[in-house]
Amino acid sequence: MPEVAGFEPITGRYLSVDIEGAAYRVHVEEAGSGVPLLCLHTAGADSRQYRHVLNDAEITDKFRVIAFDLPYHGRSTPADGWWLKKYRLTTQSYLAMIRAVWLKLGLERPVVMGCSMGGAIVLKVAAEYQDELSGIVGLESSAYAPGRYNEFLHHPAIHGSELAASYTYGLNAPSSPEQSRRENWWYYSQGGPGVYQGDVHFYSNDWDGRDDIKRIDTNRCKVALLTGEYDYSCTPEMSEAVAAAIPGSRLTIMKGMGHFPMVENYPEFQPHLVRALEHVAG
Amino acid sequence: MADYPGAAWLARYRERVNGDAELKVIGDWFTTTFGLTFGDSRYAVRVEKGRIAEIVAPKLDVRTPFGFRAPVAVWRKFLEANPPPLFHDFFAMLMRVPDFVLEGDSLIAMQNARALHRMMNIMRETGAPNA
Repeated sequence: MPEVAGFEPITGRYLSVDIEGAAYRVHVEEAGSGVPLLCLHTAGADSRQYRHVLNDAEITDKFRVIAFDLPYHGRSTPADGWWLKKYRLTTQSYLAMIRAVWLKLGLERPVVMGCSMGGAIVLKVAAEYQDELSGIVGLESSAYAPGRYNEFLHHPAIHGSELAASYTYGLNAPSSPEQSRRENWWYYSQGGPGVYQGDVHFYSNDWDGRDDIKRIDTNRCKVALLTGEYDYSCTPEMSEAVAAAIPGSRLTIMKGMGHFPMVENYPEFQPHLVRALEHVAG
Repeated sequence: MADYPGAAWLARYRERVNGDAELKVIGDWFTTTFGLTFGDSRYAVRVEKGRIAEIVAPKLDVRTPFGFRAPVAVWRKFLEANPPPLFHDFFAMLMRVPDFVLEGDSLIAMQNARALHRMMNIMRETGAPNA
């Protein structure tokens, strides 16, 4: 492709991948080279949340940054027959999706970074595959996070897109730039019907990693945790509980930050991220 | 503290809501009356197409399908220019501050979630009450 001023260095492509016996078309974005850094978006959103990381030369000089849209999200389609099945993400299906993309891309000892529900599942990824990882970066990571699920998130009398976006808007810190908070609002408003709710089913109903995290050995797999002071879904106390259960993990509570650090306030988040990446893959 | 947040603040709040550029875009279908209870002081906010028609101390014949109720100490934190974590958003308080309560028909509240959320955030932009 000829160089044209205005293009970002991000490349987006579609990947055919089989997950638990079903064929999917998954949208993958990437930039940079070096240690693979696989990024997992939040519930009901998509990989656009990582656009600042993908555009950050300080990161992409050292890391091959890869962010993919989970099936049902962004530009990834559901499997055939989706209209006959209620969308419900589970710990098992989420782990299988990540593992399938990881293997299909042939990533060697990646760092896996996820936020919110992604920050939850990276704990499971570390517990299951710690000998094949460089490490994990958990953004807003909790081992157990009940309380976010409700039926109004997919209800015929309620505008689901506007509710999902408004329901999550206050998870940003109030001091984060409004333009960035609104950008994340927009991503949330574009989720398919019931997808955010199906993700929250994983996050608040199915997920309980409190035993899994006891198996993580930071001599084999480094662990960095970053949580925003204003996150009321995964509070600092919830991440502190995770850190306490993983000896050798590195936890930073980010002042003036909320639940979506990579998109709500990248300039403030970036130094935290650089230090976290140095910890897990330095 | 019986008059918290006070008539002058309520008037400023109404003026700010009715001048809000975003509610002009998203408020067309936001027509209802909701309650705001600050400790023992109860008000009904009558909304017509995203604008506040009036804020009254409700009598028997004023119907409020839903409303928010909290002690004054909770509202004070919510209305601070730099609110503390968990008090910075009404959804945050509904999840983490047990004294902050959504009363009545939550379906109607959530049908208007976007405009209602904006209208509640304008409370902070109005500035803290002096009461």
